[in-house]
Amino acid sequence: MLLKVENLQTHLHLKRGVLRAVDGISLEVGEGETLGLVGESGSGKTLTGLSLLRLLPKGSGRIVGGSVALDGQELTTLSESAMAHDIRGKRIAMIMQDPMTSLNPVFSIGDQVGNPLRNHEIARGAALRSAVVDVLSRVRIPSPDKRLGDYPHQFSGGQRQRIVAAMAIGCTPRLLVADEPTTALDVTIQVQIIALLRQIQADTGAGIILITHDLGVAASLCRRIAVMYAGQIVETGPVRQIYRAPAHPYTQALLAAIPRLGQKRTRLAAIPGQPPSLIDPPTGCRFAARCPVRMDKCAEAPPTTVLGDGHSAACWKLA
Amino acid sequence: MRGDAVLRTQWRFGWMRGLPWLPLLVLGAVGAFAAGGEWFLPYDPNELDLGASFKPPSWQDGGTTAYLLGTDNLGRDILSRIMAGSRVSVIVAFYAILFSGSIGALMGMIAGYFGGRVDAVLMRLIEIQQSVPAIALALILAAAMEPGLSTVVVVIVLTYWAWYARIIRGEIMALKGRDYIAFARVAGVSTPVIFARHLLPNIFNTLVVLATLQVGQVILFEASLSFLGLGIQQPDISWGLMLSDARQYITNAWWAITLPGLAIMMTCLSANVFGDWLRDRLDPQLRQL
Amino acid sequence: MSGFLARRLMQGLVSIVGASVIIFLISRMSGDPILILLPNDAPPSLIEETRRNLGLDLPLWTQYFIFAKNALVGDFGNSYRWEMPALDLILDRLPATVELAIFGLLFSVAIAVPVGVMSAVHRGGWIDRIGRVFAMLGQAMPAFWVGLLLILVFAIHLNWLPAFGRGTPSHIILPAIALGWYPVAAQTRIVRSAMLDVLDSDHIRLSRALGTPERLIVWKYALRNAAVPLLTMLGVYFAAMLGGAFVVETIFAWPGVGRTVVEAVFSRDFPVVQAGVLFTSILFVLSNLLVDISYGVVDPRIRDAR
Repeated sequence: MLLKVENLQTHLHLKRGVLRAVDGISLEVGEGETLGLVGESGSGKTLTGLSLLRLLPKGSGRIVGGSVALDGQELTTLSESAMAHDIRGKRIAMIMQDPMTSLNPVFSIGDQVGNPLRNHEIARGAALRSAVVDVLSRVRIPSPDKRLGDYPHQFSGGQRQRIVAAMAIGCTPRLLVADEPTTALDVTIQVQIIALLRQIQADTGAGIILITHDLGVAASLCRRIAVMYAGQIVETGPVRQIYRAPAHPYTQALLAAIPRLGQKRTRLAAIPGQPPSLIDPPTGCRFAARCPVRMDKCAEAPPTTVLGDGHSAACWKLA
Repeated sequence: MRGDAVLRTQWRFGWMRGLPWLPLLVLGAVGAFAAGGEWFLPYDPNELDLGASFKPPSWQDGGTTAYLLGTDNLGRDILSRIMAGSRVSVIVAFYAILFSGSIGALMGMIAGYFGGRVDAVLMRLIEIQQSVPAIALALILAAAMEPGLSTVVVVIVLTYWAWYARIIRGEIMALKGRDYIAFARVAGVSTPVIFARHLLPNIFNTLVVLATLQVGQVILFEASLSFLGLGIQQPDISWGLMLSDARQYITNAWWAITLPGLAIMMTCLSANVFGDWLRDRLDPQLRQL
Repeated sequence: MSGFLARRLMQGLVSIVGASVIIFLISRMSGDPILILLPNDAPPSLIEETRRNLGLDLPLWTQYFIFAKNALVGDFGNSYRWEMPALDLILDRLPATVELAIFGLLFSVAIAVPVGVMSAVHRGGWIDRIGRVFAMLGQAMPAFWVGLLLILVFAIHLNWLPAFGRGTPSHIILPAIALGWYPVAAQTRIVRSAMLDVLDSDHIRLSRALGTPERLIVWKYALRNAAVPLLTMLGVYFAAMLGGAFVVETIFAWPGVGRTVVEAVFSRDFPVVQAGVLFTSILFVLSNLLVDISYGVVDPRIRDAR
């Protein structure tokens, strides 16, 4: 198994209390597989991605429990310098949301794409230059050899996202964490980026964790998804199966909220209520307060029920 | 009732929160020396006593408690001279800030309120004023006029009016669009009255902050001018002038160089700290200055 | 962008002309220059003749135009004190002043950048707090006092560095420190504030996520961004150095324009004063103009803006 996360817990120590942002997450990503991490804002999905790389806010963020194993190697116990030198950018890479701000405006793209290669001692000098040209052409930047000295503002948004992707895949990472890579882009570019990610996967065999709130994007790229709510995973499984027959009430509500053509509705179906505070989360099922089929038993934390074929959900209704 | 009393106490002392007491103490001392004059001085600051020249401060070998901070080359008591020098600092600061502030604020108000060509002219004037470095301007003025206290004040006014004008102009331009100004004009209120009753109270805070922030710079500027010999002249006493005198016998009397400079630094520092505190309470937007 | 620059150059020109008017008017304020040139007991006829020769009987406006016309070709008259053209005297001393200003600026930047960066990286740490205290103190100390103290400690007491004149490389150290002392506080603030902003930005986070060592992140990738506001302000600070040079040169007997003008003021040597102040003003205006030019040079985004 490429990536095995077990019972990961990440807490944020804020002035007003300890925020249990990621509270017992377990997931697996296989070689060449794409897992979608889906959830609303505040569900903890971004922080989960950051936890894999141990890029938590200095001072306040801390992994307090659980394990993260990449190719069998435990990451939570590595030293900071080992993380920077061996893991980040080399075996796990990250792509962030906004391409307009993800690139350093005062450095050329040649320098920025070459930087991870240089830092992880993949190449130097002339070999570095050709490696940069190579990776830029792989992400379909036209005439890369002529554009090495160009600056980010000379590229379009879609191109910038590709350049960021080039920075990420330069050292051929085993796992790519893409945090909302399409959110800041318009729809036509989104398609290109998704195609790009697919192509990267085909070329390098890397695993991808796609963090998104967009169920459509998740469906177009991922084979499996994990649905997060309030710091926990409520349902995991093959994407087609979940979309066809969602098991957890939250997933059901999410899918029901997507407006469809031909529907005769004047109002969007929203989920009433708010996610619970993660500083003092409820002990039982965290979705219970908003759940349409809540029972008394839900005051206790529900077990994860396996529904077959890699599909599981945490709900008393299924137990 | 206990909760109520707590609230009231907080309100009463709220404005004093974080009051920088040490700077205020220093400023108070300076003001007291300046105003009180002869009351505080242990000696006549101009009294010569060649027999007692070059006495080091009292805590050094060779120093006596008779002259707490030592004496200069003519046997004059340094402590008394420092106290006496505060008067010049206060007077210069007062007049310089009064005039540059009034003139600058008025011009800023006119330019900001009337806009258009008046404003353009003012901006050009400000640019021209800023094209000559202040010291250079002071030098020419001193060459043309007799050096002295009035020269110093004139130079500072000519240098700083633009600073006030620019900032006040900005504030007025922001205020101009407010509704109550429009109402006043529609109601036929005359412009001077608008200035006095509607605009002035709103820029008052800013003016106070600017004035306090200027104090430190005025003190440094006057010291520099007097040091060069373009400012206060003998037998008047200024800290800058003391340093200029002491320069000649720097090898003999380090205290004559260090102590008056320390007075300058303490006063300027206190003014700056107090000015910053006042700015944070009255008009934090000025922080980008 | 060239349109903007052209406009700024025009503004600069207007400022310089305005400065020349001010300089001219103030010089004429001083009373009759004749009385300085000629001995006190000169006969009235000689006074009249000299006055006519020097064109001092013409209306003020005409006098100004003559002054300006002459100034444009570099004729400021001869120094009353030295028997040579005032312009030559000033130009001869100019390099020394520029050199001092440059080194003063280098000193202040050499302090401000490391302190500013470390203050931002270890925000609230001891460098940050001590730096702020020193900055406050530094802004309350007049440059001439700093110079005197430096002389007292390093030249007299320790005898490490020379206190007067210009010659060997060690001669510039103390004057440069005295001159560059004052702006350190403001520059440190700029660097610190800019670094805090940049360190929070997405591209730095991405760089860190891709394993860039922290040292590189701070001193290469963040600093270059943070340097932009400082670099664009360098023109202003250079101008401030020019202003401060008058006093510092006097203390250290540095043979620059500043000291020359100060001496000329005391000897009522008007041509030299006029030439000196005008030249300083021109440099002053140009340095401030540099700010607008350097925006384009330093920030690649603006460089390419049509």
